[in-house]
Amino acid sequence: MSEIVLSVEKVVKQFTGLRAVGGADGLSFSVRRGDFLGLIGPNGAGKSTTFNLISGVLKPTEGKVSLNGTDLSGLRAQEIAGMGLGRTFQTPRAFPSLGVLDNIMVGAQNPNEGPITALLGSWRGGDAKLRERAESSLERVGLIDRRHDLVANLSGGELRMLEVARQLIRAPRILLLDEPTAGVDPSLQVRLTGLLRDLHEAGTTLIVVEHNLTFLFDLADRIVVLQNGGLLAEGEPEAVRRDPVVVSAYLGSENEA
Amino acid sequence: MTFSSLILTTLTFGAMFSVLTLSLNLQYARGGMINFGTVAYFASGAYAYAIFTQDPPSGLDQYAFGLGLPWYVGFLAAGVASLLFALITGWPTLRLRGEYLALTTFAFAEVLHSFLLNERRIGNGSVGLSNVERPDPALIGVNDMLAYAIAAVALMLMTAFFFHRLLNSPFGRTVDAVHDDETAAQAIGKDGARIRLQVFVLSAIPIGFAGALYAMITTLVAPAMFTAELTFFVWIALALGGQKTILGAILGTLALVFFQEAVGAIPFESVRAAQIAASVEEVVTGILFIIVLRWQPWERFSRRTKA
Ligand SMILES: Nc1ncnc2c1ncn2[C@@H]1O[C@H](COP(=O)(O)OP(=O)(O)O)[C@@H](O)[C@H]1O
Ligand SMILES: [Mg+2]
Repeated sequence: MSEIVLSVEKVVKQFTGLRAVGGADGLSFSVRRGDFLGLIGPNGAGKSTTFNLISGVLKPTEGKVSLNGTDLSGLRAQEIAGMGLGRTFQTPRAFPSLGVLDNIMVGAQNPNEGPITALLGSWRGGDAKLRERAESSLERVGLIDRRHDLVANLSGGELRMLEVARQLIRAPRILLLDEPTAGVDPSLQVRLTGLLRDLHEAGTTLIVVEHNLTFLFDLADRIVVLQNGGLLAEGEPEAVRRDPVVVSAYLGSENEA
Repeated sequence: MTFSSLILTTLTFGAMFSVLTLSLNLQYARGGMINFGTVAYFASGAYAYAIFTQDPPSGLDQYAFGLGLPWYVGFLAAGVASLLFALITGWPTLRLRGEYLALTTFAFAEVLHSFLLNERRIGNGSVGLSNVERPDPALIGVNDMLAYAIAAVALMLMTAFFFHRLLNSPFGRTVDAVHDDETAAQAIGKDGARIRLQVFVLSAIPIGFAGALYAMITTLVAPAMFTAELTFFVWIALALGGQKTILGAILGTLALVFFQEAVGAIPFESVRAAQIAASVEEVVTGILFIIVLRWQPWERFSRRTKA
């Protein structure tokens, strides 16, 4: 079995008057290299907050998160991103000042993005290569035809895919996606399924929050179920699907809906 | 004042202050930073220029340093002084967002002002440093006024070119990303505070050069020349021109300087008439300001020329 790359240990996140993550004695789970983990739970269960705690957007009130054995407590979000962690947001966050292609190019780790290089003008060759990489990222998420568009002209689903493409160009070793299929039309969803399979096969560690359980249970190796900020259940998709606790707390109501 | 000298004065001061407007434009419109201490970077440049070029103290002089170096050394020192002041003031504050930065930059400028006023060993206190050295305009075979108009326009164009080059690059792309959404930018590994500091410090350099030019033109640097009024003047010019384009910032500044110079050039029969004119000028400036903010003609114009 491969080694643990991410571990969440007894993490609690307290907002004023609300324990968003933590449950009874802190949230703990771990992810092994190359795992495809599905993270599910009813609205407000703490899934997005968990992503924010892992990626450094928020700091835990208690407990700690480690990536490749490094305690992330003292690190800022951009430093954690620099360690090879990528993430998307539940509400898509494109950069409206930039066109579609620039939105992807800016995602790359770029040795030519300093001000001195800008003044010397020595970035053009590197940028041409970057453009090709950005185009191939857009190709992978099915947005290549929109590359000259403004982000204002993209639909909600397309913005989601834009954000995925912006992470792809960075080639993260661990990628967190928050509800990637929400508002995404079926043809792009099929493409996303293929893309996630490819990433999984290439060894990228994936954690995906998703309400579309058919989509997720097909792809994930393992499922973590959250409820009220605590761990409700954990296991292989089939086992979780049949777990009576999960069925009554979550899947039951979901199936009726 | 003749019409041609009015035009020349407008061009000189308009171009010189445009350098400040362009810098503010970069800091605010592209970097999201509100700098209410602009005058301090300008003053750092002016004082650095004077100190580097003036002769060592003698007689009644209270200042301690006069390096007696050539004007071009002083000019470079002005850019460096402004850069250093931006580094010192930006480092602790650029993690803060907009409003806090406005307050701290304003405070830093006030501190510098009172330091220059009270610490006589630097700039001779309230008297300031007079007879500031300057290159001989005869060098390029024209008279003083024309020479400084040319110098100011050249500095303005170089600043515009420098900023344009800075922003139309991968660096500019990252600056825009951080400004649009810092959290999303961090998720792709961009350090927002660091990038803001880079923008802040780089945009301060031309302000320092403009300060040196100001010292050359007036041949005097004194605390009274560097008050918060100057900061607000530049902000008004920026608002007039619209924040979107380089051309807008320049046109806004030229218009404001022209208006002030033109009113100042009207001959008055009595002191009373001049006093009335001065208060009328303020009222008219205010009205003009409101009109321009409402219709933003410069911004429309510059957008049309850009398209
Ligand atoms: N920044 C915040 N401040 C206060 N409460 C928050 C904040 N972010 C999330 N919450 C609350 O924390 C709980 C968990 O939210 P979230 O993690 O977004 O849930 P999920 O993604 O599972 O739907 C919710 O009750 C939400 O209202
Ligand atoms: Mg959520």
